[in-house]
Amino acid sequence: MALRRPSVEGPEFARIVRESNETIRKLEENRFDFDTVPELFAKDAAADVFAKEIVHVFDGKSMTRHGRLVMGGVGTHFNLMGPIPPNAKLQITPTTILEDVSRALKSKGLRDLPEYRKLGAVEEIAFYNYEIFYTLRDLAFWLVLHDAGSFPSSLEVMVRHIAAGNIVQSNQYSPRKASKDKRKPALMAAGCLSVSFPTSVVEWMDKPIYGGLARDTIHVETLLTTKKTDVSHPYLPLVGEGKIKLKDGSYFYRRFNGITPKDGLRGPDIRAENAEDRY
Amino acid sequence: MNSETQVFDLYVRGTVPAAMSGSLIIAASRRHKDRQRFLRWHDSQADLIKLDVRPGKPGRIKATILSVDPWKFCNTQPRATPFYPSQPNHGVNIDGHTVWATNLLFGAPLEVDLPSWKPRRALRMVPVTRDAPQLSSTSHFAFDLDHRFAYFHESALRQGERTVHMQDLVIIRLDAKTGSERVWGLVPPVDDARSEVHNFHSAFYFEENGKRFLGLLRTGAVVESLAQHQIPSEHAVVPMQPSTIWIVELDDSQSTLTASLLPGIRELDGLALSHLDIDASSRNGFTLYANYKQADVGEETHGVNVYGEPPEHVAEHYAGMTVEALNYGIVLRYERINGVHSIRTFSRPYNPKRTSLGHSWLPINIELDSSKQWLFCSFAGFHPRLLPTHVAKVYTERVADLRHIRHVPPLLMRFRAVDLTPDYDDQRTYLSYTEPIAFAIAGTCPEDFLWTFSPENGLKLYRSHDFSQVVCHAVSPYLMNWRDSHFRPDPAHMVFVQS
Repeated sequence: MALRRPSVEGPEFARIVRESNETIRKLEENRFDFDTVPELFAKDAAADVFAKEIVHVFDGKSMTRHGRLVMGGVGTHFNLMGPIPPNAKLQITPTTILEDVSRALKSKGLRDLPEYRKLGAVEEIAFYNYEIFYTLRDLAFWLVLHDAGSFPSSLEVMVRHIAAGNIVQSNQYSPRKASKDKRKPALMAAGCLSVSFPTSVVEWMDKPIYGGLARDTIHVETLLTTKKTDVSHPYLPLVGEGKIKLKDGSYFYRRFNGITPKDGLRGPDIRAENAEDRY
Repeated sequence: MNSETQVFDLYVRGTVPAAMSGSLIIAASRRHKDRQRFLRWHDSQADLIKLDVRPGKPGRIKATILSVDPWKFCNTQPRATPFYPSQPNHGVNIDGHTVWATNLLFGAPLEVDLPSWKPRRALRMVPVTRDAPQLSSTSHFAFDLDHRFAYFHESALRQGERTVHMQDLVIIRLDAKTGSERVWGLVPPVDDARSEVHNFHSAFYFEENGKRFLGLLRTGAVVESLAQHQIPSEHAVVPMQPSTIWIVELDDSQSTLTASLLPGIRELDGLALSHLDIDASSRNGFTLYANYKQADVGEETHGVNVYGEPPEHVAEHYAGMTVEALNYGIVLRYERINGVHSIRTFSRPYNPKRTSLGHSWLPINIELDSSKQWLFCSFAGFHPRLLPTHVAKVYTERVADLRHIRHVPPLLMRFRAVDLTPDYDDQRTYLSYTEPIAFAIAGTCPEDFLWTFSPENGLKLYRSHDFSQVVCHAVSPYLMNWRDSHFRPDPAHMVFVQS
């Protein structure tokens, strides 16, 4: 989401916290319906994940995902949210695993795909202000506080994840030069994001929700396993498999490239959910 | 393609309650990852999934997937024709240790032995001929009140000039005790005689004044082409007509039974009456719960969408998928006591400002809990970019306002069975959005549970009175795919069998 109020200084902040609390109280009293708190509607959807390069490492007991995400946005400040298991370890830490895998496979990573090359210049950025939300109330409060807002349908996705015992993690990011044009959003790439959690099976990520800019997501995903596997990606075609030697040992790999649609897509020129529509 | 079996464990988070010892049965289909291919959903390969559930913390859930050979029980038709004997990728009917799995429209039910998870036979009671080379049968069978007899219909399908016609209609009764069958000829009601609409998605059984009756939901899918298209382009669509319900008195002394129309149904003007649950325990009348999809279920996705976008520009488009609804659907409650009927309906558009109200876009599953006081419904929602323009344009009176409609998220909702009102509360325990559409009620009153399932989201268990907290969640990547070429789209149905 685009954050329309990324930070506020001093006493003004105390007032906004109080008002945001009041907004959330009304929301809770109204079964989380937006009609009594129209200010919660995101004003203009302007941030999306355009592309993902991910290495999934599965050792039979746990999964670790290392990701390089390419986001586009219109505005100055954004946040990226996603559900993770509550016993996950989330890190923003330097790693060369994406480059190491691509080098070993004689690949240029995302640049192998013409759809990605068409995007143009991408600025390297870093995530900051990492947050965890344990309840829908906490999440909604944060979105109101930062005037990011939300869409009811998107919020329901998080409701489902929280009901299943997941938590929601959020990271902020900003471009050096902001865009004001939806046709030319600022493109930002952030590496170094890794999440690790216990599991005895390979678990893929959910599809991103449409944020108003990119209907599709460009993927390069590599599954590394310590034992040979025939696990496939739910939507992406297999483009290569075999053995790979990295700094920390040898793995079996399966690589999947391609395009997947976002969730929550709508027709061209149809507005996002908003406070003004009549039903 | 030969039948094959795959076995693996799911990763379970949470607790599997003791009452949940049993198996969940799901009929799944496959879709090729390559979006350039046209593959009609009726004809996509069937994978029958059995999830054996062992209680504990976290418990154990083992999957056994039987990939069905659609030609296994046929020596009379060449495999080269497109008209397979059985492609059971939709419905699940269970009695004791026997499962009958069915297609949405085409082919005969496949009988599967539950303990061994091996197919026994295809129930082909109507002969196919050169002129009528395919069968249709009821997807969801009726069962008598003692669960001894199962009832369904079959007919042959013949390609006509503009549409496919159904002929040689029969009703079949399977006797679970003896394994025998009884077949009756079926004569349509005089006021519902158009043979291109004589398909029946679900059946129900009831008794009245000491007589036995079968009800058939005449869905009315109109199929233009018996074989799938060679070129998936826009084509002329013959519009569906409002659904009806046929009532047939079961009379062992007759060889042919004549159907009549259940009053008040056609007048509701709904399309694609399809799924049902029923309380006929009084043995004198019934309360039927059913849903209208308001979708042209004889069509599938292909061609340019309603926004003029060609399929190659729509990444969520796979040619041949199940069709999107034209507008929000209807949930029906039909009560008949002593020959007198009363009707209630629930239908609601999606209002993003008031998500707590729910919606009725593309109703799929409908099931009563063990007390018959609560009704559970799943709704598939709406993906506007997947509605083909050649389908929508013949329903200008019915189709939603495409200038304003957006994606509508799927929904699972609990209703009060007595009046079809959503079971509102302040904590929103009665509804959950973005749930899979396949669910099954399990357990017994006062503690019923509800399982939901999709290959991508896995298996989740809720207490039926609280959708705000999952009891257990189980996943495996092997549920999602068949080899590297196909994924498994969300199946529509699931049935729980207590062990």
